Amino acid sequence: MTLHRILAMLATVAVLTSCGANSETKTDTAADMPKAEKKVYGKITKVDVGPTIDESMVKSGHEVFETKCSACHKMDERYVGPALGTVATRRTPEYVMNMILDTETMIQNDDTVKCLLQEYLVQMPNQSVDEKDARNVLEYLRKEGAERQ
Amino acid sequence: MKNRLLSTMATLMFATVSLVIIGCSSGDDSSIGDTGDAASRAYVAPGKYDEFYNFVSGGFSGQLAVYGLPSGRLFRVIPVFSVDPEKAWGYSEETKPMLMTSHGFVPWDDFHHPELSMTDGVPDGKWIFGNANNTPRVARIDLAEFRTKEILEIPNSSGNHSSPFTTENSEYVVAGTRFSIPIPNEDVPIADREKFRGALSFIKVDKTTGHMELAFQLLVPGFDYDLAHAGKGPSHDWMFFSCYNSEKAASMQEINASQNDKDFIAAVNWKKCEEYVAQGRAKEMAATYAHNIFDDATQTARHTMKTSVKVLDASELSDIIYYMPTPKSPHGCDIDPSGEFIVGGGKLATVIPVMSYSKMIKAIEAKKFDKMIDNIPVLNYKECLAGEVQKPGLGPLHTEFDGNGYAYTSMFVSSEIVKWSLKDFSVVDRVPTYYSIGHLMIPGGDSKKPYGKYVVAYNKITKDRYLPTGPELTQSAQLFDISGDKMKLILDFPTIGEPHYAQAVPATLIKDKSKKIYPLAENKHPYMVKSEKETRVERKGNEVHVYGSAIRSHFKPDNIEGVRVGDKVFFHVTNLEQDWDVPHGFSIIGNNNSELLIMPGETLTVTWEPKRAGIHPFYCSDFCSALHQEMTGYVRVSPAGSNVPLSWNK
Repeated sequence: MTLHRILAMLATVAVLTSCGANSETKTDTAADMPKAEKKVYGKITKVDVGPTIDESMVKSGHEVFETKCSACHKMDERYVGPALGTVATRRTPEYVMNMILDTETMIQNDDTVKCLLQEYLVQMPNQSVDEKDARNVLEYLRKEGAERQ
Repeated sequence: MKNRLLSTMATLMFATVSLVIIGCSSGDDSSIGDTGDAASRAYVAPGKYDEFYNFVSGGFSGQLAVYGLPSGRLFRVIPVFSVDPEKAWGYSEETKPMLMTSHGFVPWDDFHHPELSMTDGVPDGKWIFGNANNTPRVARIDLAEFRTKEILEIPNSSGNHSSPFTTENSEYVVAGTRFSIPIPNEDVPIADREKFRGALSFIKVDKTTGHMELAFQLLVPGFDYDLAHAGKGPSHDWMFFSCYNSEKAASMQEINASQNDKDFIAAVNWKKCEEYVAQGRAKEMAATYAHNIFDDATQTARHTMKTSVKVLDASELSDIIYYMPTPKSPHGCDIDPSGEFIVGGGKLATVIPVMSYSKMIKAIEAKKFDKMIDNIPVLNYKECLAGEVQKPGLGPLHTEFDGNGYAYTSMFVSSEIVKWSLKDFSVVDRVPTYYSIGHLMIPGGDSKKPYGKYVVAYNKITKDRYLPTGPELTQSAQLFDISGDKMKLILDFPTIGEPHYAQAVPATLIKDKSKKIYPLAENKHPYMVKSEKETRVERKGNEVHVYGSAIRSHFKPDNIEGVRVGDKVFFHVTNLEQDWDVPHGFSIIGNNNSELLIMPGETLTVTWEPKRAGIHPFYCSDFCSALHQEMTGYVRVSPAGSNVPLSWNK
């Protein structure tokens, strides 16, 4: 990763997007609402989450989260990246899955993610999670979200 | 432009002067200054891939350089036989065992010849082998990771030069000694040179893992075994070694080893040797040599010492080795794609002798021997000769093949490449090199199916070719297009160290299997952490073990207290990233060791022995993100005997 690449990317982001301050903490802005009509970037186009929460998936998802995500994300406080305790209630399942699985595409295309990068400055790494594990992480985050509603 | 013209003229004058001094060969200088068209032929646009990987030995750098062809761009320097503080090679606890030998830790060597592993006589893209010339060893480098995975020391050898050439299916990698010595080595007068012997070693390679074992050594007369290449097709069972100093001189070799009109190419029937070993006719001989393997699961090298080797004594066994007389002090020993022609590069010869495998076999069957040396038959030169390339130039060294019926020989003294026909051994083209070419390489040019297209000259001297850099100048490679009848110079590029032999293969054979990360789930390093929750610091006597982690862009822990002067601190750092091209560095003030450069999913360890009390910062030394400058931490060091408790932040 070169400084040039990062600076170029930041410059692009700055020119192309205009973001509200602290976009992540304002949960009532339009960009933050899970909207079905919002364009989906990344390879996951549709996720059927079902009405209930699968506890065995939550358990696996929690383990993956500990290894691959917890170095930068906490549930209830900002850390290297945003707090994720309520992310599953604020974002679509497709957004969460694509952020994990197709990180680069999301960073380059999704307006919400572009704004988040301006705020947090550290690009979220692609942690080479497979689709099954990503789905389990989503389930874990759904559970965390449900507990906070 | 004027300067360029002047420099071109100067170059032309130099070339002309050289040719006048040499007096015979007439070079085709048309390629000099042929820049317009040449530039486009060597041009690879930004962001585009090269067509070939070119692996070039670093010579006295001890490392292996990886370039792209036709661009000449340097991609990577793979540490092999020399320490590399940039990559912590030989500094990290995980890699130090790789450089252990029977002489202890050896931080440097002289790497001459890379050789790709082969299947059916063509490179298979799995591994590349390399030789250490000074402290005899053979290394295996993995081509999915571009890392050295194994180093095997060669006993009874001294100057491992005719190495690491492989048989058609990499059944064996060979290691022939350049300097003969007493075997077993002992304290004798050098005047006993006559009694010294040579050892030709055959290393068995496991097809799946690549693991090397020294299968047997053939003890031979004490000449200097210089280069080698394996037979192919009909000559599959044979390995050919050139040797000089049949005079067995121990001093002033440049005169005393240049007396005989002919030296030899030794033809060794390795299949027959294998049979003898299977029949139990090899003797077990005490020997001490290191075998170092990098374990992928624990990401740590393991060093073991071997205690014996199987030897076959050529003077006691028949049918395994024959000497073919070859003029004069032969260096290169190259086999054409068909396996029929064996080309000797007689450094001091006025011709290039081309020996015939089929004639050699007939001579052996007819027992047409000129004489015996230590019970080894010496064949008749004429009986084995296919033909001689007449007036090739001066100082023939090495030959490669284009697969279209032509051979290309490097001429050191007359600084040129000579192209000649395998049909009638006539010279069809010649082109100057700048200057003093050693090895040359055509992609796949020593295999059964050369890819052709280019020949690269690896030159010993550059003089006026590049901007001056003080007394020490870069050495260089020169790329020639050989797709037409005439060789065309299209690019000069500088090299690391001193380039000797090289190999090249189409990028498609390697690029798609390149490893991107080390999966954390497969990391069995005893000091790894799977997540930040497992990070901790433990004391064992005066050893302090930091189980640390790195991810964009922080270390955990990043504040450590309770370290004392006199402690030995082990920083075991796991890079928790799982994304390609995101290494983290680790460096701490005053360390007598190198930095760490940790790949995604990898754990590496560096030791640090703080000398004085105080606050000691550490930081990430590989720019990893926009907040890389923030990726730092502190270690508090207290005086020896202090009772500051060991603590760290979670």
